[in-house]
Amino acid sequence: MTPVSRENVSVEQFADMALDVGVFLLASGAHCGRVFSNLKRLADRWGFPIHINPAFTGLTITVRDREQPERTVTRYHDAPPHNVHLAILTLFSRLSWRVLEERLPFSDVKRQIEAIKAKAGYNYWLVALAVGIACGSLCMLSGGDCRNALCAFTAAFAGAVLRVAVLRLRFNPMISFVAASFVTTVIAGADTIWHFGASPEATLATAVLYLVPGVPLINSVIDLIEGYLASALSRGLYAAFILLCIAAGMTFGITLLGIGNF
Amino acid sequence: MTTEFLTAIARDAFLAFFVAVCWGVLFGTPGRVLWVAGLLGGCGHCFRFVLLDFGTGLILATLLASVLIGLAGIVFAHKVDNPPVVFTMPACITMVPGLYAYRSMLGGIKITDMDILHENPALLAEIAHNIMLTFSLLATLAIGISVSVLLFRKRSVRDISLGWK
Repeated sequence: MTPVSRENVSVEQFADMALDVGVFLLASGAHCGRVFSNLKRLADRWGFPIHINPAFTGLTITVRDREQPERTVTRYHDAPPHNVHLAILTLFSRLSWRVLEERLPFSDVKRQIEAIKAKAGYNYWLVALAVGIACGSLCMLSGGDCRNALCAFTAAFAGAVLRVAVLRLRFNPMISFVAASFVTTVIAGADTIWHFGASPEATLATAVLYLVPGVPLINSVIDLIEGYLASALSRGLYAAFILLCIAAGMTFGITLLGIGNF
Repeated sequence: MTTEFLTAIARDAFLAFFVAVCWGVLFGTPGRVLWVAGLLGGCGHCFRFVLLDFGTGLILATLLASVLIGLAGIVFAHKVDNPPVVFTMPACITMVPGLYAYRSMLGGIKITDMDILHENPALLAEIAHNIMLTFSLLATLAIGISVSVLLFRKRSVRDISLGWK
């Protein structure tokens, strides 16, 4: 280990930078343990002892100055809207390791953080296509045949495109889940109504799977395992509410098509 | 080991590969490692398929498959320099218990109507069974993804060596 070069980075400067990274990681789908380990590596580079309290909606962080123990800052920052983007986890993980191992200067690190934050995700048409293929394949895995899979593909693709369109109208995001699951259910109900394919039930069950908040659900359990109880509860509740919205949309759809058909 | 059985395994792995790659796109997995997500998803899913065929219970089979995905994820994490979660998450979610969640929900809609419930009182038992299955399966997926935390006493996957790199 080379001696720590402090470059006169103040606790306030560091706290702001760490908050910036932390909330962005939380919003991109990192579990709390990952947020903590990434921030710990950044803090170790400048020799700051830190404590973090990750919540689902934001992050509180306390940074102490080892040389002047009376200088302590505690700051809170809201998390941006949650949008799963796993590539961000990779980039921040690599950056934090490099910061620690290569002793990168503070200004350079700040620049790289901005570059990572500006990284765009996949084009939404591509995502919609991927979602369609995934749901179609899952339909075949659940016992459907090619006709059922085509039905699931169409339903999932249409729902995914519609969800983004609804989100852009700036309604409460939960509305987009209800709307998407309603549209998906109505389209996926086609093979049940007209009796084609080997397993119409599989179409309905798999076409809405793209809406299932898998990342928050699984992160909730991981947080529970690692002891971040507050975050585990909030993530679980968030995921459960999305599931409820999906169920509500499906209920409307199934009721419209006639419950007796199912 | 009939040809028919092998074809069924290949079909299962092939479909799961596509599911995992597509989930990777949905979750924003880096493009360069999408193939890893697909490979893990395909192997994990067809491993579960084989276990089920040999009469393993659904929950145990899913647990073993997701732990396999989790361990393979640690190996690949070293090879392609990515945190394992970026490919184990889409790979494990290929086994998301959609059918059971759907049946629980459909049962829930049905029992809001007393007449339907009187006709078919077994609905309640079915719903309870499907809900328990859904939650148990979700928990097994989480265990598989966090296997590095549960089995190893290390802060980071970088410090875990599985004997070959």
